[in-house]
Amino acid sequence: MSQALISQIMIGFSVAAILAIAAIGLAIIFGVAGVINMAHGQFIMVGAYTAAVVGQLGGNTFIAIPIAFIVVALLGLVVERGIIQWIYDRPLETLLATWGVGIILEVLMKVIFGPELLYVGAPKVLDGGLRLIGRLPFPYYRLFLIAVAIVMVALTFWIIFRTDFGLKVRAVRRNRAMSGCLGIDTAKIDMLIFMYGSGLAGVAGAVLAPIKSVSTTMGFSYAVGSYMVIVLGGVGNLLGVPTGAFLIGEGETLLAFKYNSVIGQLLVFVAIVIAIRVFPRGIFGYHERR
Amino acid sequence: MTKLIKRRSFLKGSTAAMGALVFGTTAPYYFQRNIAKAQETDSIKIGILHSLSGTIAIIETSLHNAELLAIEEINAKGGVMGKKLVPVVEDPQSLVQVFAEKAKKLLLDDKVAAVLGCYTSASRQSVLPVFEEYNGLLLYPTLYEAQECSKNCFYTGAVPNQQLDDFVPWILTTLGRKKFYMIGSNYIYPKETNREVKALLQKHGGENVGEEYAPLGHTEFSTIINNIAGSGADVVFSDLVGDSIVAFYKQMRQFGFTAADMPICTPITTEQETAAMGPENAAGHYTSFNYFQTVDTPENKSFVERYKAKYGANQVTNAVMEAAYFQTYLLAQAIEKVKSTEADALIFDGLPGQEFKAPQGPVKIDEKNHHTWLWARIGKAREDGQFDIVWTSQDRIRPDPWVDYLYPNKDCDFTNSSVLERLKKPWSEEKNRSGTMDL
Repeated sequence: MSQALISQIMIGFSVAAILAIAAIGLAIIFGVAGVINMAHGQFIMVGAYTAAVVGQLGGNTFIAIPIAFIVVALLGLVVERGIIQWIYDRPLETLLATWGVGIILEVLMKVIFGPELLYVGAPKVLDGGLRLIGRLPFPYYRLFLIAVAIVMVALTFWIIFRTDFGLKVRAVRRNRAMSGCLGIDTAKIDMLIFMYGSGLAGVAGAVLAPIKSVSTTMGFSYAVGSYMVIVLGGVGNLLGVPTGAFLIGEGETLLAFKYNSVIGQLLVFVAIVIAIRVFPRGIFGYHERR
Repeated sequence: MTKLIKRRSFLKGSTAAMGALVFGTTAPYYFQRNIAKAQETDSIKIGILHSLSGTIAIIETSLHNAELLAIEEINAKGGVMGKKLVPVVEDPQSLVQVFAEKAKKLLLDDKVAAVLGCYTSASRQSVLPVFEEYNGLLLYPTLYEAQECSKNCFYTGAVPNQQLDDFVPWILTTLGRKKFYMIGSNYIYPKETNREVKALLQKHGGENVGEEYAPLGHTEFSTIINNIAGSGADVVFSDLVGDSIVAFYKQMRQFGFTAADMPICTPITTEQETAAMGPENAAGHYTSFNYFQTVDTPENKSFVERYKAKYGANQVTNAVMEAAYFQTYLLAQAIEKVKSTEADALIFDGLPGQEFKAPQGPVKIDEKNHHTWLWARIGKAREDGQFDIVWTSQDRIRPDPWVDYLYPNKDCDFTNSSVLERLKKPWSEEKNRSGTMDL
């Protein structure tokens, strides 16, 4: 294998990690609470702005991660208690309501921070790159992103499969009515899951800000990537997110490497449309038991 | 002249109050409505058509601000023909179709003398048919891909030859870099610019070792960087726009390319983006512009000072804002010269050849092609996001909307008598007439 291709495959891993980081919060909210959070991109944006503020106060990405998680989880709490809890059973209205929340957040951040792009730097420790194999040094920051993606997915697995809370979450997802009859407070589960998913979006914003641009309109592109990941991967199983992210990330970058970025993006969209034809509910589709 | 703007009806027009959006000094989005009940007879209405909301509001708000500053200054010095300039502000919300609607409103309802407006080529192209049909006058401040010539539009931003003709040879000789890798956003401006760069490379003995376009708004450049590494390039020529810029510069350095190994040269990146990408990613890369905030002229010092005094100390001025500012003065001088706000008088007599001591240096509207003679400069980004000017042209550069080395037989000449006769005929006499020259 050529050095260039080795570099390219590693780059694909990092792009997959970026997609997974951005998508996991969306996937868990959709998978459990059944809400497609159209404000997901803006939640990521708020996380990035939190990182920018932490940076201005002298902190770095490592400090920004927990702060962004808390800030955006609280934002999720406000949105869930204030709006979503009243309209869970009306999917179209949750779409519109969260879309509106997204617009409000964009304007709000513009009012508070002004319309300029903000600066977020990478931590000094992660400066530079690893030069083992491949044509390019592989940035430490991208290794860090791959680690963050693995930790986020693993942590979510652990919560869902190894805690009492996770047991209730799985029960609610399997059969909401029966879980309620058995004494599980399904509204509380929905609220906590919405907070957790939002918090993960905040973390995504904080860790992605150092390699991307930070502006009030940045959310949209992440939202598109995240929707593609969950549409392809499906939300029936948490493995859907890493699988979808891996296929899209490697697929898009390898195609972009072979042809160019525009063709790469186009072919990935085509492939996703075909994949949906074959797996209408995503690769890890899921049917609720009735 | 039934459909055209009549000065008489403009003078007699209603004295309806109109709202002018005046922006507060503390926060850009905190604005108040200022009702100016100006008497029509002692004021001249100027339309301001820039998006104050939506996706391109960031940059367009600053153009709107620069134009209002100029109007304020002109009025403080006694106005034009003893009359005050009154801005009529419309917000097209970053939507192309709304631009055309608002332009029509400004021309027909408000009967403005001229419109200062638009930022993107898409918005300009959507309003031009309106200006041509109703014989209005548009002044457009953005650098753009050229190859356009409209009777009803004057272009005060740079065209590619003014940013590239000296920049490309400078990269080849002064920087000593011969192998160009070209990267741009996937739309018309970068593609046209790169066509011209390729022609210049051929002419001056450089080499094009790779060319790649990313979708608009793309922020993942790792694959393209891998291709750059394999291309043998020693300089990157970037026409990326918007959010892509900051992400590309950041990722280049993370993948081990410093400004010393692989400088990024661009006709687009402004002070705003270099500030947002951070000192470690910006310093040492090059931008070609007519204007930088650091230009050392007395006019620029006072422009920057007054802009900051009006809109806040943390404001940064850039090339497009500077054009928005000086085009307001050019228009005022043209009205003063012909003592009229009639569009044809301004188009054929007032504006061509008009000169002004702009912040970038003295500028002049070309007598023939409606574009503007501007200075060329090359800036090297500093750690604080500002630019050190490393090269300035000896004189103003002539605008050439169809450069000779790509379009040898095309030109744009509004002094050509046959063209002139045709254009001066009123709309009603010639149904199929278009203000755009058929070349």
